[in-house]
Amino acid sequence: MSMVKLVNVRKSFGDLEVLKGVNLEVQQGEVVCIIGASGSGKSTMLRCLNQLERISDGEIYIEDVLSDKRANNKDLMKIDPATVQSLCTELGMVFQNFNLFPHLTVMDNVTIAPLIVKKTDKKIAETRALDLLSMVGLSEKKDEYPSRLSGGQQQRVAIARALAMDPKIMMFDEPTSALDPELVGEVLATMRQLAEKGMTMLIVTHEIGFAREVADRVIFMDSGVICEEGTPEEVLLNPKEERTKSFLNKIL
Amino acid sequence: MGQCSNFYDEGKINVLNETQLWAIFDGTIVTLEIAIVAIIFGAIFGVVVALGRLSKNKVANVLSWFYIWFFRGTPMLLQLFIIFYAIPIIYLDATGITFTVNPMIAAFVAFSLNATAYLAEIIRAAIESIDGGQMEASKALGMSYRQAMTKIIIPQTYKRLVAPLGNELIMLLKDTSLVSTIALFDLLRTTKTMASATGSWIYYIYAAAIYLFLTTIIQVVFDMMEKKLGIYER
Repeated sequence: MSMVKLVNVRKSFGDLEVLKGVNLEVQQGEVVCIIGASGSGKSTMLRCLNQLERISDGEIYIEDVLSDKRANNKDLMKIDPATVQSLCTELGMVFQNFNLFPHLTVMDNVTIAPLIVKKTDKKIAETRALDLLSMVGLSEKKDEYPSRLSGGQQQRVAIARALAMDPKIMMFDEPTSALDPELVGEVLATMRQLAEKGMTMLIVTHEIGFAREVADRVIFMDSGVICEEGTPEEVLLNPKEERTKSFLNKIL
Repeated sequence: MGQCSNFYDEGKINVLNETQLWAIFDGTIVTLEIAIVAIIFGAIFGVVVALGRLSKNKVANVLSWFYIWFFRGTPMLLQLFIIFYAIPIIYLDATGITFTVNPMIAAFVAFSLNATAYLAEIIRAAIESIDGGQMEASKALGMSYRQAMTKIIIPQTYKRLVAPLGNELIMLLKDTSLVSTIALFDLLRTTKTMASATGSWIYYIYAAAIYLFLTTIIQVVFDMMEKKLGIYER
């Protein structure tokens, strides 16, 4: 089953066109790594999927259901807001800057969305949160506030928080870019664990080694379009496009 | 001094008799009541006006803007006069019916409306100071704007609001002395009346001492609140 599908997606901020016609389909269980220079539209593409940004043109499908269809910044179809909301919660998101809620403990960070969005019973939400926290190796930190955790720990809590909503797809927007080098490994290990469990994942990353190891498919984006895609071997080791080659040369 | 039944007959005696003591106490209560009512209503309606200012809804936006524009841009004393003196006249002209505004009610309303304008700006600035990533994370987790505001964004502003709120309460407490113009005996007017009647300056010292006592309590309590609310910060 196709988990997400973008058809001719364009996105402009004023005069600046950031996405210039992106087509992408991600299958269930697939791990897709998106690489590319900053400003190439990688993050914007993720943010358009869960409607943190509205697309200017094109169509987006989540689990084969239309979630957005627009042209010239106008809706082409009135889609029931409840449907859009429930489709968007199928997508979990992990941010570069963690964005944990600083006024809530680790436990409350993980349970708040199930409690107020899904109206989950408190006991059930807390049991689930403990499972997720032990999965990311942080159950003993459940009563701490985020400011007491290292960056790597915060990001792992953020992963647990996103998983608590039981998303079908996890999106990672440069999850290790804000971390000290020695903390990158623990976050990647958690992500690897998720990939092994068969989670569908869309990962914007600069960690080429990680992409090579876990990705089923690597996408190279450049100036708002998908420039090259294929298996990690194809894109990372034997790129065909000149732009891919020069990008890889710069960062490796 | 015991034979005197009211403070106008006191002469130059500096020690307060029971009547004076109660008059000053009552004046202090008037002062406190107005300041406390205004800060409570101001905080509640201030949130509403602040959300209006931040809203994408044009009408809410413009209304909030004009509200703040008027109540911040005109003197507090004028607002008090409008409510106490002007509104009964306007009402009389329109309907032919006379009515008077209870001065205490007029003070509550005028000070609450005024505090709302100032607090709205303080609250708006506090909300805007919260990192945009907080709203994005809330939305990405499926929260509505309302849920994100009430559970995530606004609770984070509490600590940042304590200091300016304490500031506003102290200002209000002192500004309540304006109500002497609408026939209310607040702390300052009560003590000033005693001072004029007796020709003694000591009553001003009493007034200063009481104002300082009250503002010190506010300062200490708000300092404590700020520490307590910041518990989640390192």
